[in-house]
Amino acid sequence: MITLKNITKKYGPILAVNGINISVARGEIFGFIGPNGAGKTTTIRIMGGILAPTEGTVIIDGIDMAREPEKAKRKIGFIPDRPFLYEKLTGLEFLRFSADLYGVNNEEAFREKAEGLLKMFSLFDWADGLVESYSHGMKQRLIIAAALLHDPGVIIVDEPMVGLDPNGIRIVKELLKDKARDGTTVFMSTHSLGIAEDICDRIGIINRGSLIATGTMNDLKLAAGIGEADLEAVFLKLTEENDSP
Amino acid sequence: MKQLLTLLKPRYLAFRKGRSGKTAGTRNAKLFFMGTIGLAFWGGTFAVFYRILSYFQRVEGFGDILAYKLLSMVLMTFFAMLIFSSIITSLSKLYLSRDLILVHSMPVPAAGIFLARFLESTVDSSWMVIVYSLPIFLSYGIVYRADIFFYAAVVIAIPALCLIASAMSSLCVMLAALLLPAGRIRSVFIFLGMILFLILILAFRLMRPEQLVDPDAFASVLLYFRSLSMPASPLLPTTWVYDSLRASLMGDLKGALFHLSLSWSFCITMIFIAFWTAGACYFTGFSKAQTAPEKLFPVRPGHNNRSAYSLINMLPGPVRAFTVKEIKTFFRDQTQWPQLFLLVALITVYVYNFSVLPLEKSPIKTIYLQNVLSFLNMGLAAFVLTAVAARFVFPAVSLEGEAFWIVRAAPIPVRTFLWIKFFVYYAPLLALAEILIVVTNILLHVTPLMMQLSTITVFLMVPGIVAMGLGLGATYPDFKSENPAQTVTSFGGLLFMLFSAGFIGLIIILEAGPIYTLFMAGIRNETITSFQWLWLIGSFLLVLLLCILAVVIPMRMGIANLRENF
Repeated sequence: MITLKNITKKYGPILAVNGINISVARGEIFGFIGPNGAGKTTTIRIMGGILAPTEGTVIIDGIDMAREPEKAKRKIGFIPDRPFLYEKLTGLEFLRFSADLYGVNNEEAFREKAEGLLKMFSLFDWADGLVESYSHGMKQRLIIAAALLHDPGVIIVDEPMVGLDPNGIRIVKELLKDKARDGTTVFMSTHSLGIAEDICDRIGIINRGSLIATGTMNDLKLAAGIGEADLEAVFLKLTEENDSP
Repeated sequence: MKQLLTLLKPRYLAFRKGRSGKTAGTRNAKLFFMGTIGLAFWGGTFAVFYRILSYFQRVEGFGDILAYKLLSMVLMTFFAMLIFSSIITSLSKLYLSRDLILVHSMPVPAAGIFLARFLESTVDSSWMVIVYSLPIFLSYGIVYRADIFFYAAVVIAIPALCLIASAMSSLCVMLAALLLPAGRIRSVFIFLGMILFLILILAFRLMRPEQLVDPDAFASVLLYFRSLSMPASPLLPTTWVYDSLRASLMGDLKGALFHLSLSWSFCITMIFIAFWTAGACYFTGFSKAQTAPEKLFPVRPGHNNRSAYSLINMLPGPVRAFTVKEIKTFFRDQTQWPQLFLLVALITVYVYNFSVLPLEKSPIKTIYLQNVLSFLNMGLAAFVLTAVAARFVFPAVSLEGEAFWIVRAAPIPVRTFLWIKFFVYYAPLLALAEILIVVTNILLHVTPLMMQLSTITVFLMVPGIVAMGLGLGATYPDFKSENPAQTVTSFGGLLFMLFSAGFIGLIIILEAGPIYTLFMAGIRNETITSFQWLWLIGSFLLVLLLCILAVVIPMRMGIANLRENF
């Protein structure tokens, strides 16, 4: 469903992402973890079609992002790490804006879907309030709701839990698991290793722009040479090894 | 004092870093470009004032009265501009800036924060007025052969005027923040806009400029000059500055010092009052302003707003999405309102002036004058449109701000996004330009040929002006700006105004010759030669080509930049 082939991104002399190859199957939740500045957000933005890679190809459901960006983007529900929105629209208006953009043209279907999502994310009472009056967490919830409005086959999400309260985190965790069960592919970057361990089928670790390990929890434990350990220990071991000269 | 310097330091460091962040080549090129434009404007202002004052000096008896009246009017205009600009700047600096939360979390008293912000706001709102007032004072000094004391008086008096305007504005803003209901602080912009609208309409109406060309209106010259030499109210800060400058020009050192002392004592008193008020109520107002902003016209819950956009609903999804977003964002952003009111006021005055022009009393043949004015009006309307586009169209891409990721992640090409924006602005600006042209032409009673020519030319020029605004706005966007409307004063904004003015000038030049020939042939009942026809067709084909290029080139530049760099 998602294929990254030799993705490389350079910002002038700085190599932000270095030849990443990842393949994520339909219905799989793939966790993408790494230290600050490792290249997670850059990779995710390249996957979402927000940034063009210096080299490499992104394939979403068989569609090449470089060749047919609009077609590929229509398959994606993109959730960025920082909730920048159109502050002068209301929550409901923003959902309608997203629906129009992603081709949800049936008014009845939109109303039903929007109402359901607003209720799910506890935003229904705020639907007619301006986005600028929302808290950080509410904006994050609204972005997630907007990304789900067109039933995307692929969800690409950068730090989904930042700014969410415990109830929000629980809702998002359950939602991603449900979506994956229904065949949606989820690519998620996170710093919350507990959450990654909890919901991801496979995990990729990126450090200094390169993918240093990928696989299931057991694969990673084997790669790190640690027997019974949690993801945090595996993560620290692998990134430390990669950092040492 | 140390605290104050610490609070001002980030601004100073950001300014220095901003300058060193760019490459030397880009920085020098931009500096050269902006410097040339600034210098040209500065030189132009000096030349105009020098000429006017030299002319006044030659008028025996009344020359000095006129020159001093002009000085008083200049000071009054500057003071009004300073007040207007200070209110907007201090509102933003004291209550709306993003970094205020961080600053208020620091162990600094509210009055200290106020003082730092007040100084920043004073510099921001007055530097341009100071820079462009200098050539005027310089021309006074040269024409009146003033000694060094006049220049010293200018250097002492003008900062006092700026500080008074800033202190008065920040006091008004602090009181408004206390009095207005929570979440309504941005409504200050609307009140400000309405006041400005009324002042402008009243000022232009009371000046009755049409009387300048009507000799019958000057029934009593004596009365007229008596009104000119009447002193302004002694309670106005501009009067003290005016009196000190006048006294220094006349070599009256004692008088000048007295009025300078008046200015500075009032200035220090005002700053003290503002500082004291800030200690008492700035934090309360700031705290109130932190509540969620409210819409000016709240939507009733469950109200189907879609019906209001029934025409737009017929558009394809992405087009509808961006059109609705653009319209709603524009009208809900209350910072846009003062400019909207200002625009309406200027257009009202513009049209009104045409309605009262006493053409029949002019010594030039009326039909000739009417049509020449109509031709000039075409250029003037296009310049009005450039100013409107500079304020509203040029910042349109930057206004997307940090939410631009939505456009990049959306399943529409950047090209579509920019073209949607183009049409959203094109439609109202075309309507505005055509209404202006048709109404003023009707008031001028122009010939049908001129009416057709102006409506068609404006129809062709508007897409070019809008595309240049939008395209250059997309080529030089600033998505991180706290106030994207200010991007108009950036390098890209100046480039747009320069290109747009050049474009309008070229069109007018290309059309002027052939139209004059055509027009005179009509008046003299002469036939047009084949060469003249060829010239006419060639000129209009060039106009058409120019208008097409003005749309295509900037839009392509903007699309390429957004696609590749953001």
